[in-house]
Amino acid sequence: MFKYILKRLFISLLTILVLVTIVFILVRLMPGDPFSSDKLTPEIRLNLERYYGFDKPLIIQYITYIKNLLIGDFGYSMKYVNQSVNSIIADSFPYSFDLGMRGLSISISLGIVLGLIAALNRGKSLDYVSIIIAIIGTSVPDFIIGGLLQYFFGIKWGMFPVAQYKGLEYTVLPSIALGFYTLAMVSRLMRASMLEVVQQDYIKTAKSKGISKFRITYKHQIRNAIMPVVTVLGPTVASVLTGTFVIESIFAIPGMGKYYVQSVQNLDYTLILGMTVFYGAFLVIANMIVDILYGMIDPRIRIAGR
Amino acid sequence: MVKFKKIISLFLIFVMLFTMTSCSTPGEKSEPAASNEPSNEVNNEQSNVSTSEQTEKKVLRYSLTADAPTLDPQLMNSIPSSTVGYHIYEGLMRNHIGEILPGMAEKYEISDDGKTYTFHLRDALWSDGVAIKAQDYEYAIKRLVDPATASDYSFLVTALIKNAGDINSGKMPVDELGVKALDEKTLTIELNNPTGYFLSMLSMSQLCPVRQDVVEKYGKDYAADAEKNVYSGPFIVKDWKHEDRIILEKNPNYWNKDEIKLDEVHILTVSDPMTALAMYEEGELDFVHVPAEVLKNYEDQIIYYNDGANDFIKLNMDGTSELENRNLRLALNYALNREDYVLLSSQGLYQPNTRYVLPQVNGVEKNYSEEYPYEAFPVNGDTEKAKEYLAEAMKELGVTDPLKIELELLTTDQERTRIEAEVLQSQLQTALGITINIRQVPYKQRLEMESKHEFEMVVTGWVPDYPDPMSYLELWPTGSPYNHGSYSSEAYDGFISEALSNTDPKERMDALFNAEKTLLEDGGIIPLQLRRNAMLLNPKVKGFETYFVGINFDYIFADIVE
Repeated sequence: MFKYILKRLFISLLTILVLVTIVFILVRLMPGDPFSSDKLTPEIRLNLERYYGFDKPLIIQYITYIKNLLIGDFGYSMKYVNQSVNSIIADSFPYSFDLGMRGLSISISLGIVLGLIAALNRGKSLDYVSIIIAIIGTSVPDFIIGGLLQYFFGIKWGMFPVAQYKGLEYTVLPSIALGFYTLAMVSRLMRASMLEVVQQDYIKTAKSKGISKFRITYKHQIRNAIMPVVTVLGPTVASVLTGTFVIESIFAIPGMGKYYVQSVQNLDYTLILGMTVFYGAFLVIANMIVDILYGMIDPRIRIAGR
Repeated sequence: MVKFKKIISLFLIFVMLFTMTSCSTPGEKSEPAASNEPSNEVNNEQSNVSTSEQTEKKVLRYSLTADAPTLDPQLMNSIPSSTVGYHIYEGLMRNHIGEILPGMAEKYEISDDGKTYTFHLRDALWSDGVAIKAQDYEYAIKRLVDPATASDYSFLVTALIKNAGDINSGKMPVDELGVKALDEKTLTIELNNPTGYFLSMLSMSQLCPVRQDVVEKYGKDYAADAEKNVYSGPFIVKDWKHEDRIILEKNPNYWNKDEIKLDEVHILTVSDPMTALAMYEEGELDFVHVPAEVLKNYEDQIIYYNDGANDFIKLNMDGTSELENRNLRLALNYALNREDYVLLSSQGLYQPNTRYVLPQVNGVEKNYSEEYPYEAFPVNGDTEKAKEYLAEAMKELGVTDPLKIELELLTTDQERTRIEAEVLQSQLQTALGITINIRQVPYKQRLEMESKHEFEMVVTGWVPDYPDPMSYLELWPTGSPYNHGSYSSEAYDGFISEALSNTDPKERMDALFNAEKTLLEDGGIIPLQLRRNAMLLNPKVKGFETYFVGINFDYIFADIVE
């Protein structure tokens, strides 16, 4: 197990390095540059290029960036000029993480339960209710769900604050809006995979052995059916926890998602790179955890050395 | 089996933790170390609304769609930054919505040739109790011009202050700058030309003082957070949570503190305008912008103001397209119905514009458009005249079919700019029968293409940096770095150099007006619209002013009256 994790860690680092290199090249290929502004004169452009080291060859700039990256220094943002990318991430990530955790815990727990209920009541009205929720969740975009929640619960009925993120009551609406899609996805997956598991021979065996219905569901069905859900959780967790632009905009939450989108619009090279590396690392780690979880849930997939 | 149970129970604990605990919201932790009050924001605002017995704080609350990218005065390059900067830094003079009030300078003298200004500073303190000195101003302006600072707003003074241009391009050492502190209370500034509007620029944050010891102490992190800075203006930054809120507090050391009525200003970042509007309706904000789509719902309460943005089409006259032809340019100008254009593209929020210089800038005594009224092209267009010019142009260009005249209209990739471009395209094609192709690119790319002269027609704009026609007209002299359309006119250049050297205000203003007329009679640009904002303001707020140069809001003398 340890050897396996070590190997995965090494591959992960390599993946991140490749990611950095590709993004480093791609941002430079985007048309326009971070300095462009209405009032920029050629002389001032030269000063800016010198200041940021853009007058040096690209390969030198790349080596400098990687060197700094190795000591954990993402550099300074080119738009928020006095703020280091590290401090921007340190400021904004806790918001996204907190919101994401709330959204995920609601959506994963409810999603699994909903999927289970649907599968166990296949073809009955409870099943249809769950299907309808799932369809709404997957097909209605988050800005509409967020906007509706904000309008009804915030403005019309005044049950929750309209926006901002300053305490428990502020987290309710954005967490629901954020979690809705994942909830729908999880419940659909859970339902489908439960229905498949129910058909399996070992369930029949269990039944014929006279094991109680509850035990069959709990011990044999859920455990096997949950695998596809765990598979999608890696990337989902990574993307939800690192912030979502739309929900953060609607509810005025100072999370990472907004910086991510804006850094691309501003061609803020250092911020784009820093955010991408951070997100990449997060994704890689999340996927690694999923792989380890696999082995725990299903001994058949226990990986490598023992 | 045991492991599986463990996972499930771990997961459940995890769920409980994050749904139940309330105190882990990041917004609540880390109240500023600088403030003594333990209460958090939520309580502050509640106590504000409730009628508690203790004297209530006067708090102004508003939101911006984007946070101030920086509060480092010399590195500021955006209106959100400089609007905050205006309220936390004290310039030598204070431009209060066009009225020039004394700032840190108690009095000043101007030399007979109008080029040397001597300022006498009052006794005043920084927010940390250190005396404000003339050297702080000298250091600040040198810092702005120094190429090592790489300030993109150094352009404000490169043509203005003696030697600033040469220093900024690295041809001269910084010490040669025409800004000298003669002693702790006296500062002289030497200009290249007599410049009447110079005093009005002095409250721009870029020209406001910074303390060398503080800047050097924090290095690149200077002004990055509330406590990494010292303040000279009416307010200090009490707390700054990036992309969330800036909390300003009255500066107890401010020289004019008796005139400052507000105790606090809360500037929130709310990027979605509809959310901001909802917060205003909930009473959480005192001031909000109304998006064009919902203007009708608020018709009776709206206050309109111009923010100085003036949109026009730049035309490339460097000989790579038919636009080198003056008659064609005039045909385009006459073909547009600008009144219809603003109705279709902004629901009438923006105002049609038929000249180049922003009407609100200063004339000699009144504002420029009052002293020099002018309509270069009829606001509803003149199709007949447009066709005459087109016929003339076609003759000169040797074209027989107007469809053969094909022009590309460059604009950014936003929804609003797409609609604008489509209205322009339809008007020009219908009136003239020529072909207009729209090209949409990201904002930064448009700027780059513009500066590299890689366009035929581009929808662009300009906001003034000082309230004088020159702020617009300095774009078009031959060889100006902003002359992206390669416009070149001897007459125009002549009027501009006359305006630069003439010390008689009336003659100078006449020359500027002549320059504007020359540019428009040449069809050098296509004026389009003046941007206007619609706002709602809490009636309890008095003295909240809007302005169109450098900053959008001026609330230093604002008050909350019950």
